[in-house]
Amino acid sequence: MTQTATNKLTKSDIRKLFWYSQGFVSGFNYEKEEAPGFVFSMMPVIEKVYDNDEDKKEAYRRHTEMFLTEAHLSHLVIGITAAMEEQNSYDEDFDPDSINAIKTALMGPFAGVGDSLYHGTLRPLVAGFAVSMITASHYTSALGSILFVLIMGGVGQIIRYLGITKGYEQGMSLVATLQSSGIIQKLTKYAGIVACVVIGGWIPSLVWLSIPWSYTAGETVISLQSTLDSMMPNMLPLCLTLLCYKLLDKKMSPVVLMILLMIAGVILYALGILA
Amino acid sequence: MSFLFQCIVLALFTWIAFIDKYCTQMYTYRPVVAGAIVGLIMGDFSIGLEVGCIIELMFLGQVFVGTALPPEETFSTILAAAFACVSGSTEVALATAIPIAILGQMGMYLRNIVLCTWTGHRLEAAVERMDRKGITMNCLILPNIFNLILFAVPVFLAVYFGADLVQSIIDFIPDVIINGIAAAGGLIGAVGLAMLLKSINFKGLWYFFALGFFVASYLGVNSIGCTLLAAICVAITYQSDKRAEALAAGGDVQ
Repeated sequence: MTQTATNKLTKSDIRKLFWYSQGFVSGFNYEKEEAPGFVFSMMPVIEKVYDNDEDKKEAYRRHTEMFLTEAHLSHLVIGITAAMEEQNSYDEDFDPDSINAIKTALMGPFAGVGDSLYHGTLRPLVAGFAVSMITASHYTSALGSILFVLIMGGVGQIIRYLGITKGYEQGMSLVATLQSSGIIQKLTKYAGIVACVVIGGWIPSLVWLSIPWSYTAGETVISLQSTLDSMMPNMLPLCLTLLCYKLLDKKMSPVVLMILLMIAGVILYALGILA
Repeated sequence: MSFLFQCIVLALFTWIAFIDKYCTQMYTYRPVVAGAIVGLIMGDFSIGLEVGCIIELMFLGQVFVGTALPPEETFSTILAAAFACVSGSTEVALATAIPIAILGQMGMYLRNIVLCTWTGHRLEAAVERMDRKGITMNCLILPNIFNLILFAVPVFLAVYFGADLVQSIIDFIPDVIINGIAAAGGLIGAVGLAMLLKSINFKGLWYFFALGFFVASYLGVNSIGCTLLAAICVAITYQSDKRAEALAAGGDVQ
C-alpha cells in the first residue's frame, strides 16, 4: 500500500493533536503512569491514518503500555509518534514495534532534562521573582502572580506546540540528532549553574532570622546581630540553608525538616533567642 | 457576597485549578497565584496574596521527580488562605499549611493508586471494544471528576462548616506560639532552597552558589542582577567547555 491523501496528517490534524494532548496528564495512575493520556492524545492521529478498525485497535493497544516522562517535553514524543504512526499506516517495511521502542528510549533523557530545567530551574526562578515583586509591593499588587502565569504557562504551551509540530515534521531523524549531539547533558549542566548562582542570591531575601541578644560593655550596647553582620551579612541564613542541605542529603524528609524548624522557631522565640 | 456563595465559588476555583494542574498546566494552581485568587474570592486580597507567597516559598524546591508525590501544595494553599482570610491572620496559614498539604497528598495517592488505576483498566476494556466515547470518558472526564470529589468538595465543606471552629482554635492558642510560628516562617525558606540545591549538582557547582550569595549579601544585588550574572557564568563555562573540546580533539586553541 502506498501513502494516499486520506492517510496524510494535515495542518488541522496536527492542531487537533495539540488540543487533545492538553489532556495528557489527566488519567495519570501508578500502574501505567501517563499511558491513558497518551492514548487520548493519539486519538485524532489514529482515527485519521488507519483505514480499518483492526489497525486502529492495534494502535490504541500499543499506547496503553506504560509511558512516563516530563509533561511538557512529552509532547515532542507525541509529535514523533504521530510521524511514526503515519509511516506505519502505509509503509509495509515499517516495524510497528519500533514505535514503543523509540517512546521508551526517549522517556529517561526527557524526564531528566525536563525536570531539572523546567521544574528545577525555571519554575523556582520565576516564582522567586514573583514573590519578591509581591513582597516589595507590601502584598498590594498581584503583578508578580500575573507575570508568573504568563511566563510559566506561556513557555509551557510554546514547548508543547513546538514539540508536537517539530516532532511531527522531523520524526525519527530528530531522535538520532538528540542522541548523538550530547545537547541534553550540556543543557542540564548550564541549568545547574544558573540555579546555583540564583539560589545563592536568594538567601538574603528568602531566609530571615536574627538574634535579638545584646550586652552592655561600659557605655556602649553591643548587639550580637550587628557584630555578625559586620563580619558577613546574612551569615546565619547561609548556615541554616547549608544545614538543611546536609540534613536532606542525609535522607531526612523535607516535611519532617519543615515541622522541626517550625517547632524550633516557636521554642527559640519563647526563649528570646529568635526575633 | 454571602458566605455560602463565597464558599461555592471557592470550590469551583479549586476544581478549575485541579483541571489546570492535570490538563492545560497554566500554573494557576501554584500557591503564588492560587493565594491571590482565594484572597479575591474571600474578600481579603492582601492576606490571600501573603499566604500564597509564604506557601510558595515553602514549596519552592518541590520538584516532581518521576512518580514520587510531593505534599499537595494547591489544596494546602486554597484551604490555608481561605482560613487566613476568614480569621484575618496569616500565622494561621503557616500552622495549617503543612498538615493540609499532607492530607492532600493522601488524596492524591488515593486518586493515583485506586481511582485512576480503575479507569485505566476501564480504558483498556474500551479499546478492546473500540468504544471511542469510553476512551474519552476514562482518560479525560472521570479523572477530572475524581478531582472534583477529592479536592473541590472537601474545600467547600471545610471552609463552610469549619471556619468557626478554626477561629475558636486560633483564639485559644497563646500569642507566644502565634508569634513563634511567624518567626519560624523566615526559617522555612531555607528548606525550599536546600531542596532546590539537592535537585541539581550542587557539590560540583558550589562555587557558583557562593558567588551568588556574596554579591547579593555584600553588594545587595537583587535576583534580576543575579540572573544576569548567572548568564555570564554560563557563557564563561560554555567557552571553556568549547576550548576543552577543541584541545581534546587535538585542534589549535585560539
